[in-house]
Amino acid sequence: MTIHKYPRKKLLFLFSSLLAVFFLTSCQKQPTLRFGNLYTDDNNGSNVVVVDTSTVLVSTIYSDSTFTDGTGFLMAGTYKDPILGTVTSRAFFQITPPAGLPSLIPGINTYDSIGLVIFFKKNNPWYGDTTSLQNYVINQVDTAYQLSPPFLNGYFSNSDLRINPDKLGETGPIFIYPSRLDSAPLTSQGISDTIKIRLDQSLGQRLFNMVYSNSDSINNPTGFQNWFHGLCLSTDGIGTGGTGAIYGFKDTCLMRIYYRTAGVFAQQYIDFNITQKSLAFNSIRTNYDNTALKIIQKTTGYYGQTPQAYPSKATGNAGYIQPITGLNVRLRFPTIKSIALRPDYIGLLRATLTVRPVPDSWSTTWRLAPQIGVYTTDQNNLLGTPVPASGLSGAQTGGLVVDYFNPQNAAYTYDVTSFVKAIITNNATNSDSLGLILTVPPPNNVADFRRVVVADQSFQVNQRTTLSVYYISLFPHN
Amino acid sequence: MQPSQIKRSFLLYLLTAISLGAMAQGNFSPYSQMGIGDLEDGFYNRTTGLANTGIAYRSNRFLINNNPASFSDLANQYFTMETSLRGTFIGYKGTPVDIGSTQSADITFRRLAMGIKVSKHWGTSIGLVPYSTENYEFNVPYAIQGSGTEIANHFYSGHGSVNKAYWANSYEFFHHVSIGAEAGYIFGQLNQKDIIQAGNGATQVSTTNDVNLQNLYMTYGMQVYGNIGKHWSWGIGGTFSNKADLLASYNKLVLGADSSTLQNNELQQRYLSLPNSYGVGLSLTHNQHFTWVADYRYQDWNAVQAKNIYPGQDYSIASSERGSFGFEISKKKTFYNNKVELSYFQSGVYYGNSYLQINGQQIKDMGITAGFGVNSLKTPLAYAITFNYGIKGTTKNNLVRENYFNVNFLINYGAIWYTKGKKFE
Repeated sequence: MTIHKYPRKKLLFLFSSLLAVFFLTSCQKQPTLRFGNLYTDDNNGSNVVVVDTSTVLVSTIYSDSTFTDGTGFLMAGTYKDPILGTVTSRAFFQITPPAGLPSLIPGINTYDSIGLVIFFKKNNPWYGDTTSLQNYVINQVDTAYQLSPPFLNGYFSNSDLRINPDKLGETGPIFIYPSRLDSAPLTSQGISDTIKIRLDQSLGQRLFNMVYSNSDSINNPTGFQNWFHGLCLSTDGIGTGGTGAIYGFKDTCLMRIYYRTAGVFAQQYIDFNITQKSLAFNSIRTNYDNTALKIIQKTTGYYGQTPQAYPSKATGNAGYIQPITGLNVRLRFPTIKSIALRPDYIGLLRATLTVRPVPDSWSTTWRLAPQIGVYTTDQNNLLGTPVPASGLSGAQTGGLVVDYFNPQNAAYTYDVTSFVKAIITNNATNSDSLGLILTVPPPNNVADFRRVVVADQSFQVNQRTTLSVYYISLFPHN
Repeated sequence: MQPSQIKRSFLLYLLTAISLGAMAQGNFSPYSQMGIGDLEDGFYNRTTGLANTGIAYRSNRFLINNNPASFSDLANQYFTMETSLRGTFIGYKGTPVDIGSTQSADITFRRLAMGIKVSKHWGTSIGLVPYSTENYEFNVPYAIQGSGTEIANHFYSGHGSVNKAYWANSYEFFHHVSIGAEAGYIFGQLNQKDIIQAGNGATQVSTTNDVNLQNLYMTYGMQVYGNIGKHWSWGIGGTFSNKADLLASYNKLVLGADSSTLQNNELQQRYLSLPNSYGVGLSLTHNQHFTWVADYRYQDWNAVQAKNIYPGQDYSIASSERGSFGFEISKKKTFYNNKVELSYFQSGVYYGNSYLQINGQQIKDMGITAGFGVNSLKTPLAYAITFNYGIKGTTKNNLVRENYFNVNFLINYGAIWYTKGKKFE
C-alpha cells in the first residue's frame, strides 16, 4: 500500500481546459435563417404603426411687411403670377461721390455723358418669365432718404419714397438671360453681366459743373445726399412678350460721368458708388385681384403684431409661401392627440411631415422655393424656433424633390418628431394652438420670390400635405 | 478528500454554472423558439457513446444519471466527479436557409456531476445539467401597418436555457434491486427579443419577453439485475418522472430607439407543465466484456397540452418518444483478484420523435454514436471521447433539417473518501 500522490499537473490542465472552453463558447459563426416568422405571435411584441390620416389644417399667414433693406440685391421688375397676381418690386438706393474728385480745367476738360451701371451676376435671384423684354427705368428720389420717422426701424417691403416722376433714364427693351453659360453675356446689351442705363444729360452736366466748381454739395457726402437723395430702379410694367419677371441686381451699381480731356484719347470718368447699402431697400407691391388671395386685407399694422391667418378653404384650398411678400403657411394638427389615446399606443417613434405643392401651381417659370424651413408657432402666428430633425441640430430645409414629369411627386419632407412629441400628450390649455410655420429660411426670405402653393387636405391622398405619425404599438397583455 | 480538493470542486461547479448560462450563445436551433426550447436528450456521461442508452446500465466508477437507481453501484467510499463538454458542427438544409451561410459550430459545457457511495448500499449524486436551450435568430421584413409601401424589419432572437440541478439517491436491496429518486430543481430564463429595425438596420424599438421558469421535478428509478450462469449478467431498469408545473414569470420590456423605457410590465404568472415521463431499459453483459443495452423513453406531452400556453403560434405539442440501442466492449485486467477496466469502446443508434409538431410534421431526431474511453491507472482520471452524427428535422413543408456532428469529451475524477487522508490502490 502506498500513499497516493495527487496529480497536480493534470488538475491544472483540467482547469485550464475548462477556462479555455468557457471563453471559446462565443467564438462561432451562425447560419442565416429565414425560419420562424410563421410561428411568431404577432401580438407578443411591439409593432410600428403609421397614421397618416391626421387632420392637417393649412392656413396662410399674411404679414404686411418684411425687412427688405440691406439684402444685398436691388430687385426690380414686375411679373404677373397666374396664382399670386401681379408683383412689383422697385429698388431704392443712394449713391455718393468719390472721395477724391479730379481737378477739372476749363477748356481742357469737357463733359460727355452720364449713365448708371448695374450688374446681374450669375446666381442672382430672379423670378418670372425670362422671355419678357424689360425696360429698366431710373428715377431720382424726391424726398429725404434717412432713418427718421416713419422709417426709424429701417425700410420694409411696404416702405416707399416719393420719386420725381420724370425719368432720369431707361434701358429700352432688353433681355436678361439668367441661366446662360458663364462665357455668354447675361443680357442682350452684350456686355457680360453689365447693364448700362443712359441718364439725363442735364443731370450729368450739372454734376460735372459741381465737380468743376468744387461745390460743397459734391465734396461733402452728407451734403450730396441731402441734395441728391437717391435713385429708384424699376421697370415700366411687365414688359412685352411675356408675363414679366423680377431680377435681383447686385448692390454694387454705380453712376458714372464721362468727360474728355483735350489731347487725351483714353476714356475718363467719375464714378459715384452706391453707399449706405444697409438702407438700400426693395419696395414690393402685390395685387391679389382676381386671385384666391383677394380676401387678404392689407392693413398696415405695427411691428410684431399677430399676423392674420386665412384658412386654406378660403384661399383656393391651398396655403401660400412667399415670405418676401408677407406670405407664410401655418399648419395645425387638431386630431393628433387622439393617436396617443389608442389602446395600443405606448410611445412615439417618429413623425414625418410631407408638404406637397399643388401639382399645377409650379413650372420651370414659376419655380418652387428650393428650401422651405419649418418652425414652431403658437396662437400668435409668429415665427418660433426651427424644428430640428431627431438627433440633429439646426433648421431643416425640406430636401425638395422636383419632378417636372410627375409634378405630383414634388415634396418637401421634414422630421417633426420633436414637435409631435411635445404636443401629442400635451394637455396644457393652449396646446391646441401650437403648430408649425413653413417659410423660406434666411437670407432668401427677403431676397427671393420663388414660392410654394401648399396643397391642403382637399387634394387626393398622394397629393396633399400629410403628417405621418409612426407610433409604437403594443396591445395590453395580462 | 483533502480541503484543497473541496476548493477545486467548488471552483469547477462555479465555472460550470456560469458556463451553462453561456450555452445560450451556441449554435442556432430554429425549433428552439417553440415550446420551452430544445429539450436535452443526452446525459453526457459514460452512456453517451451508447446513444445515451443506460436506464438499466450500472457502473462502479461513472455517474449514470440516466437512472437515479444506478448510483448504488458506485464503489464503496468512492467519490467521483464528472464534467462534460461538447463540440457541435451543424449543417442546415431547407428552403428557409440562406445558401450563403448554412453551417455553424460551437463548443459548450454540458454537465457537471459529483457522486459518492455514502454507505455500503447507498449512493448519492448531485449535478447540474441542461434541461432545454433556446437559441435562434431570424429576420422578417414586414410592411408597416398603415403604410402601403414602407418596409421595416423584425429581428427576432431568442436565447436562454433551462437547467436542472439535481440530488439523486439510490439504495440497493438484496444485491439485485436498486431503487432511486432524483429531486431536480428546474430553473432558468428564456429571453425572447423582437427588434424592429429601420431600413438602415438602426433599432427603432425592441420588445424583450423574459420568461423565468422554476419548480421541482421528481424522477424515480429502479433497477433489477442478476447473473445467468458464470458468464452472463442482466439488468432491467425503469424510470418515471412525475409531471410538474413550472412556475413561469413573464416580464415584458419595451425600449425605444434611444433605449428609453416605454413599458416594463410584469405579466401574470402562469404554469407550464412538464409531463409524466417513462423510460424502460435492458442490459445484457457477457464475461464483463461485451454489453448490449436498449432503452425506450416516452414523454406524455399530449396530457399536458391543454394546460400549456407556449410562445408563438401555429405549431403544437405532441407526446415524444425515443428508442436507442448500444453495444460496448470493455477491456479489463485483473489485479489482485480484482478486474480493473483499462478502456472501452462503444457504439449506438437512436431514433426519436420530439415534442414539436410543425406543419403536420413531428420533428424527428435520429443518429449513430461511437465512443472510446480510457481509465488511467496512474492517476485518478478517466477520459472518454464520443462521436455522434445525427439528423434532426426535415426539409419538407418549408422546415429546416439539421445534420449535426457532435464530439463529446468526458472527464471523470475519482478518489477514495472517508479514509482519513490515506488512499489505497
